[in-house]
Amino acid sequence: MRLPERQLAVLEAASATDERTIDEIAAETGLKPETVVGAAFDLRDEGLLVVGETADETLDLTDEGREYVDAGLPETRLYRAGLALDADAEPVSMGRVIGEADLNGPEVDIALSNFARKGFGGIDSGELSVDGDADPDTDPEAAALTALAAGEAPDVDERVIDQLDSRGLVAVGESVTRSVTLTDAGVDALMTGVEATETVAQVTPELLASGEWRDVEFSEYNVEADAPTVSGGRKHVLRRTADRVKDVLVGMGFQEMEGPHADSDFWINDCLFMPQDHPARTHWDRFALDVPPMEEIPDELIRRVEAAHRDGWGVDGDGYHSPWSEEFAREIALRGHTTSLSMRYLSGIAGAELEPPQRYFSVEKVYRNDTLDPTHLLEFYQIEGWVMAEDLSVRDLMGTFEEFYRQFGITDIRFKPHYNPYTEPSFELFGEHPETGEEIEIGNSGVFREEVTGPLGVDCDVMAWGLALERLAMLTTGAEDIRDLHGTLADIEFLRNAEVSY
Amino acid sequence: MPVVDIDTDELRGLTGHDEMDDEEFKTDLFGLGLEFEGETDDGLLQFEFAPDRLDRLSVEGVARSLRYHYGDDRGVYVPETNDPEWTIEVDESVPDERPYVTGAVIRGVDLDEGALDSLIQLQEKLHATMGRGRAKGAIGIHDLAMIKGAPLQEGAEPSITYRGVDPDGVSFVPLDANDELTPNEVLAEHDTGRAYADLVAGLDRYPAIYDELGLFSFPPVINGKRTEVTTGSRDLFVELTGTDQWTIDRMCNIICYALSARGATIEEVEVNYADGATHPSEYGAELVRPNLDTDEKTVSHDRIETLLGVEFEPEEIVDCFERAGLDASYTLGDEVRYEVEIPPYRVDVLHPLDLVDDVGRAYGFDNLEPRYPDVGTVGGRHERSRLEDAVRTSLVGLGFEDLLNFHMTSGTENFDRMNVEPGTGGAAVAEEDAESGARPPLAGVGVVGGGDPVEITEPYSEEYTQLRTWAIPSLIMLLERNTHNAYPQDVSEIGFVAERDETENTNVAERRHVAGAVARRDASYEAAKGRLQSVCDDFDAELETPRTDHPSFIDGRTAAVVIDGERVGVIGEVHPAVLVEHDLEVPVAAFEFDLDALR
Repeated sequence: MRLPERQLAVLEAASATDERTIDEIAAETGLKPETVVGAAFDLRDEGLLVVGETADETLDLTDEGREYVDAGLPETRLYRAGLALDADAEPVSMGRVIGEADLNGPEVDIALSNFARKGFGGIDSGELSVDGDADPDTDPEAAALTALAAGEAPDVDERVIDQLDSRGLVAVGESVTRSVTLTDAGVDALMTGVEATETVAQVTPELLASGEWRDVEFSEYNVEADAPTVSGGRKHVLRRTADRVKDVLVGMGFQEMEGPHADSDFWINDCLFMPQDHPARTHWDRFALDVPPMEEIPDELIRRVEAAHRDGWGVDGDGYHSPWSEEFAREIALRGHTTSLSMRYLSGIAGAELEPPQRYFSVEKVYRNDTLDPTHLLEFYQIEGWVMAEDLSVRDLMGTFEEFYRQFGITDIRFKPHYNPYTEPSFELFGEHPETGEEIEIGNSGVFREEVTGPLGVDCDVMAWGLALERLAMLTTGAEDIRDLHGTLADIEFLRNAEVSY
Repeated sequence: MPVVDIDTDELRGLTGHDEMDDEEFKTDLFGLGLEFEGETDDGLLQFEFAPDRLDRLSVEGVARSLRYHYGDDRGVYVPETNDPEWTIEVDESVPDERPYVTGAVIRGVDLDEGALDSLIQLQEKLHATMGRGRAKGAIGIHDLAMIKGAPLQEGAEPSITYRGVDPDGVSFVPLDANDELTPNEVLAEHDTGRAYADLVAGLDRYPAIYDELGLFSFPPVINGKRTEVTTGSRDLFVELTGTDQWTIDRMCNIICYALSARGATIEEVEVNYADGATHPSEYGAELVRPNLDTDEKTVSHDRIETLLGVEFEPEEIVDCFERAGLDASYTLGDEVRYEVEIPPYRVDVLHPLDLVDDVGRAYGFDNLEPRYPDVGTVGGRHERSRLEDAVRTSLVGLGFEDLLNFHMTSGTENFDRMNVEPGTGGAAVAEEDAESGARPPLAGVGVVGGGDPVEITEPYSEEYTQLRTWAIPSLIMLLERNTHNAYPQDVSEIGFVAERDETENTNVAERRHVAGAVARRDASYEAAKGRLQSVCDDFDAELETPRTDHPSFIDGRTAAVVIDGERVGVIGEVHPAVLVEHDLEVPVAAFEFDLDALR
């Protein structure tokens, strides 16, 4: 018979006539007690050993109990303080006795209730008297605590232990002692002789090829120990949020748009019916680029957009009473919103002329001059989406956006009527933060004005909305400072440890 | 967005709703789109709103909206006006840059502190919004009793004159001052003058308004002290100057409505543009102001129904219009249409669509039931977005931490600290293929990253002055920020880069670059190339790495990235000078190439 080395050691240390405890066998074999237990159970399963268990009550001092071993039980301290104030002769005010005994907080109540129970004296009308004949030195509770502290079994009545248990001064528990005895089969095996099998550290190609693995035992690992962390690569947390958004939108039938970051003001603002003297178009809000103006813009389109700005669109339309210059329209700047892409697609310049129905989106970068702070960056990602169809209504807009946000766990969307130069009606979207329950702005939406769609040659309705991706990411990841996520200030550990969202 | 400060006691008085408490007002105003923002130090409630209904910039306008909301008022209201006694003469000396003027006389005002504060607030808020910081329109309000009008000829009406003056040739005592100053001295020495000096800088003649006694207003900068309005003022002269007649007329209307709401009487003034003075072409040279004529627009029943997605009876629509402060009449027939009358304080109605919005608000957008549009379309991602994502997945599989860096950077980071000179690569040195006329990928020409940068005009910060021409500097900057964190740090980014390129429609060439950096004790050319090779294998692309030089990398350990025979990037061990410049104490090997090479 062959047995692993440690099982053999345990088998040899066991006796057929005496029960031997695990600790005894561990001491004899030099194995760890838990190793002995494991081996003993394996041997029992082979029918070579019997494993017996006995349960013993254990008694341990609690922290509070340990404290009283040195300081004395509170009731005893109260008694001695009473004696010192001659309360055996004349009742003394309780306050004085408590002060003398130096009892604090919950100790006071503990002292008073046990003082009376043990017959140390009486309390009447706030005055305390002590019984001079009482003898706390013979108190069995104190004696039991002292014995436990010294590691001895207390020689006291069971009821005293119960009392100490209920006072929380001792903890009553149970310990299991295992012992082993050889079975007849075990004795026989030892008689016929058992050999130890070999222990190896690692599975090797040679071991597998030779078939030797059948005869070896693998040394044990501490499988609970921490392993060194492996830092694999992962997609940026904002990219993952963007992927999620793209998945949802593609699922809702939206096609992705693509186009220039640096664009003419014509595509960024003029097509959107943003008056040229609108505050958002001033030097302070945009990033103008030091390159020559855009030469190629369809002339007819420029004329129509200019006409919308100057004179309005349609029979009853009024224009803005603002200056409009083609020169300004041709200047190049970084886009402040990806609605410039929507304008390019709607105009047909980005590809084919579009016939309704259409749905388009992008999740791309936009640039706005703002003060960098935990929630604002100069560059951020904007989710932009639009639906083009005949006779779209505000109800369709509400239904679409409710569906989109529901995919992110945001329900109960509120539509607050709003104003944008390029949409009418317009709505700010508010929703409840899924965790904090706070009402937060989660987007801006509306139906493009005819002054926008008309010049682009679109003669059906287009509804659109926009939202910062970072805002959605902060909601779904719990990030509090956007700068941890985005840009060269990012902390690589933060990126490595950010929870994966899906 | 504009903010209006409201004294709710005044609001109770002006709406006639003494029973309302502040909380109820907040709720009702939220319904109108005015969001409670907080309180001022004086205990006024502040409400923020979108800049369309600028007639709500004062408590009077807000009260008017609430009265419509509560049903106390219906339809269009236009206050009575008395015939003009005063004339504003416009002299041909008025500077061309600020040609227009308008005004009104207001009689019988009873200005307590609250009313005066409200008037000043309205004036300031109109300046900030419609007036575009006073550039487009500026308001001056004067105590009429202090103005002495000199009729131009015997028996004529009293008049004041809008004219141009020599910036140093006249003096007056401005508000908040005790001494006479010339206009130029006002701009140099007076706080308000300094604040608005830019608006008249460069003009040969400054705008000024005169009465018989001399200059009493220096628009758009400051009024004279002589005509200052106080709580004792009974009659007011309102004048507005600006660059657009319609804009200042509407600003004037909003002021007139606000004062009329407090019981004052509006009296017209004549505005006479002299021969030789620029006058508004659409209105002629002789105007009577304020112009409180209503506007009219037509909107079809069908458009209202399709846009709101609800069926209405015509009477319901008319009811909504009236509750919005508009009047409407309709004709039944094949197509029901509404003739809608719009009061002269509205500045936001540019198109019949705006009237549909008013109907929606009066009906209550909250009452609309959302529905998912019954329109089928096919969704999908853009091809380049899919490619980018696939390459990113390959990089992440190789252990790269995916980064997202800013596209804006500075010349210091993009060039100087990388030892690269602008103008040494990309479009700056690219030459067209003589035969095909095609141009090579910009990342394959000259020094990768050495293109001419796209600079931001008048940048606000030294850190963000241009668009990055390549991505490796961003990776190195991130490594610089993370020297306290554990190594290895293998980082990558697929991101936007740009350079000046006048062959492009936007004059900016925009590219997506794939960049990776391996930062660890044993980082080597081989470590970077092994990973690059793996990415190329994933896309069945053939990689070659002929030797090249690049100022950011160590000579002899640098190669061009050639994919499928085309030179598209660079790979190498980063030069110790660049590492030390970025406080890096481990070697770094990096590569960068044009994403399109993997298509």
